[in-house]
Amino acid sequence: MPYLSTSQAYLEQSAQLLQAYPETTRIVTKYNFPTNRRGNVIRAHKSQVRKNAKATDASSTTTPAQTSIATLTLKTFNPTTGICLHYRTNKAQEVGRLITSLGKLAAGADVAGLGLSAAVPAAGADVDMVDAPAEEVATPPVASKAQPQAQGQSAKGKKKGGKGKR
Amino acid sequence: MAPHLGHDEFFKSLADLLSKTSQNLHGSVNLTQKPLIDVPGATTTNSQPSILIRATDGNTNTPNPKNASEATKISMKRASKVKLSTIVSPDDIEAFYVRYAEVCKTGMTGLKKRDRRGRKAKTKGGAAKVTKA
Repeated sequence: MPYLSTSQAYLEQSAQLLQAYPETTRIVTKYNFPTNRRGNVIRAHKSQVRKNAKATDASSTTTPAQTSIATLTLKTFNPTTGICLHYRTNKAQEVGRLITSLGKLAAGADVAGLGLSAAVPAAGADVDMVDAPAEEVATPPVASKAQPQAQGQSAKGKKKGGKGKR
Repeated sequence: MAPHLGHDEFFKSLADLLSKTSQNLHGSVNLTQKPLIDVPGATTTNSQPSILIRATDGNTNTPNPKNASEATKISMKRASKVKLSTIVSPDDIEAFYVRYAEVCKTGMTGLKKRDRRGRKAKTKGGAAKVTKA
């Protein structure tokens, strides 16, 4: 059950999963605030420390460390095969686009029908790849690098979001 | 189980639920969509099934039992979680999702806003890219 690094990869693979199992696959959208449980707080702190260590220069925006930022988690799950695709974001500007795309998925759109950019790596190999979704995550290195760090700094992620919008 | 709501009612309740959660800065809202198959009452036009949309707060809007008094604990047991659901027929999907996206956009205010300050600094370097997009 991989967390995909870009919304585009998530939507494409979800489209393929829905195509393969249209009757049993469901999509869950979770909007939640972080809790104050001890484990959660520790994990958040650790990731913050790691991020700071990694990007000392890029953190010129000084991540505001607000009280609590909600996250939006999208999950496409097929119970019969146990395939579960995730995408997580905390950027408000993505919501509209994501929900609209979910509507297209619900209407039974295929990968091409999603209207995403033309960079579809292996549209023909949809039958094989549902077995091994992790391999398909081979997105360009720039994209996969920009997205996980986007938690704190939106400057980097923004370029990505702008590209994927149309 | 509560009966399925109409679209208008569903959106109204969902907007309420989202704004309440956003104001509390606590809790979560789960939205599920799945095809409705072999259920009486579902309109199925050739191959395209209706979509069932559900929303719930998973009982997260009730106060934490640890720091609640005895009286609120009793009332908490009675307070049940919010559960909303509606059915979208295949013809309505597009119109429904336009409104759905709108409601989610306005309701999910707890997410991070777009950072305008960072954008200005960025455009100097990547002006060509921005104008293209």
